[in-house]
Amino acid sequence: MEFFIQILIAAVVMGTPLLFATLGGVISERAGVINLGMEGLMLVGALVAFVVMLNTGSYFYAVAAAAFASGIVSMIHGVVCLMLRASQIASGLALTFFGAGLSGLFGDKLMGETVEPLSRIPIPGLHAIPVLGPVLFNQDALVYFSYLCVVLSWWMLFKTRLGLNIRSMGEAPEVCDSLGLSVLGYRFFAVTVGGMLIGIGGAYFPLALTPFWVDGITAGRGWIAVALVIFAFWDPVKALGGAYLFGLALALELRLQILGIDISPYFLKMLPFVLTILVLTLVTIRNNRRGIQVMPAALGKVFFRGEKH
Amino acid sequence: MQIFLEKRDNTSSWSRVIVLAAALLLVLFISFLFFLAVGIEPIAAYKIVGEEIFLTKYGWQDLLVKMTPLMFTGLAVALAAQMRQWNIGAEGQFHMGTFAMTWVALHFDGKLPVGMLIVLMFIMAMIGGGLWGSVPGFLKARFGVNEIITSLLLNYVAAAWIDHLLFGAWRDPGSNNFPITKEFSVAAQLPTFGNTSIHAGLILAFIFAAIVAWILWKTQLGFKIRLTGDNPDAARYAGVNIRTLTILVFAASGAIAGLAGFSEVAGIHYRLQQNISIGYGYTGIIVAWLARNHPLGVVLSAFFMSIVFVSTEVLQIEYGLPISMVYLYQGIILFTVLGSDIFTEYRLRITRFLV
Repeated sequence: MEFFIQILIAAVVMGTPLLFATLGGVISERAGVINLGMEGLMLVGALVAFVVMLNTGSYFYAVAAAAFASGIVSMIHGVVCLMLRASQIASGLALTFFGAGLSGLFGDKLMGETVEPLSRIPIPGLHAIPVLGPVLFNQDALVYFSYLCVVLSWWMLFKTRLGLNIRSMGEAPEVCDSLGLSVLGYRFFAVTVGGMLIGIGGAYFPLALTPFWVDGITAGRGWIAVALVIFAFWDPVKALGGAYLFGLALALELRLQILGIDISPYFLKMLPFVLTILVLTLVTIRNNRRGIQVMPAALGKVFFRGEKH
Repeated sequence: MQIFLEKRDNTSSWSRVIVLAAALLLVLFISFLFFLAVGIEPIAAYKIVGEEIFLTKYGWQDLLVKMTPLMFTGLAVALAAQMRQWNIGAEGQFHMGTFAMTWVALHFDGKLPVGMLIVLMFIMAMIGGGLWGSVPGFLKARFGVNEIITSLLLNYVAAAWIDHLLFGAWRDPGSNNFPITKEFSVAAQLPTFGNTSIHAGLILAFIFAAIVAWILWKTQLGFKIRLTGDNPDAARYAGVNIRTLTILVFAASGAIAGLAGFSEVAGIHYRLQQNISIGYGYTGIIVAWLARNHPLGVVLSAFFMSIVFVSTEVLQIEYGLPISMVYLYQGIILFTVLGSDIFTEYRLRITRFLV
């Protein structure tokens, strides 16, 4: 039982960066903009958070700087694919290169440096609940912040005028345009806010998961998050479940070895990626069978005012 | 005052060339700023890089050596892209190619007639890369699963598989625990030109560029591929079996990417080890994009991206900048080229009056 709880705790911890990134992806894609550059944005977030943490010792500044920097970088994506109307897919890939290069270049001198990882803060009262208490309410501050982000992004997307407009941009930008809403403005906003969340997801790596710098610290999790956005049906609440499910797979990767189960560590390393492919396939089959169209209708499509497509 | 984009009356190929040249100048300018930012005298850096690459024999050699895998991976991505399919898994297909050929080299060395070993390795690299590439193709064709995500995720699986072998069964006992296989015998090595490091893989890459171009424009298969890319509905109406074609194209694309692995291992390293690909599979995406997915254009753009790789090497040696800077450059190049594309069709107009 104790071991079981330990795994669940680890699942939440490992799932948290995925959760931030998936939320960011959901907001961006709801507005109709694919962001394939998640891996790159997470690396930028991780790098900036680590550097700021080293220099100021403040987790708050580290996270804020990570969000700011990845917001700025995702604006490049916005400029290229929204204003200059390039392929969102290609621009996202450019973002991946860019982020990997930036973190590799400036991270080179940081190898071997360490920071103090975030400590756990038990929430009074709630942490004593059996199972749920230690798993959900005895975590670090960023995990709690991720809960808040789930609620806020759900509320923003589905309960506010802003969210309605953002979602409309992903479904029928021409209609929005004819109603006098700025497609460019809303999409830019969504890409930037989404990029900030993705960057915070990246910040979680050096601040909590691996409190020292390694090259390519995010290890492909950004790409898992790209798939998770689909798996979560573009819904922040479902993103929570999806992120923790994959967090569980990542937690198992660590724990199975401790249990002494004789599997090559390299097979365990494959596990989350193979699982992602399997789940993505199952979700796609399910959607095809039921004829569900959950994907934002205008996702990935170039919109330019005054031109018919 | 208003700034807006106005559609050009006609888009000539000249405007494409000029816009591309402007984009690449912009990249040079960005790197100028970058050099200033990291405290390097930019003009001196350009001079050193230019001299090292173009004025030395070693520089030219290196350009052609680095160009070889980029041509293969660029062709792989371009072939799939002709059908409007994104194969961004060339990195993994590269690795599975090296896996399959190394298996042959380790198990059949000395057991085959002269010359057969390298041929078998060549075939196995294509099969290894091809099978790996056909997975996202199959998932796309059969279930409609997004091929971008699956092909990319498989890169991580392939890399872990290679590590599994290098840290396990295939590790050379005499390697002092380094994760490398034993060196292949001469029968498993591609010939080199004279005493340079340029190897027969370069010739193979040119042959494959020609083959891909021939298939695309001179065969019915190529017509089907391009038709499906341009207009899937028309292709379906014309009786093209898109499912089969998708799997086939992904397999062929993967096979070509596998050959990049073959040429690197059999042409340069003569053994399987880590980091044989320094992102060649990913760079293939940019190579194909710059070439607008034209196989012959791939030759030029692979050469160009090779300059980027070798420049980074020079900067690493001269200024101690990390090699991962090459990704930064690739990102900047792709962003710039993508962002400039619009100006081939539109021109920027600034007017003082509202229109």
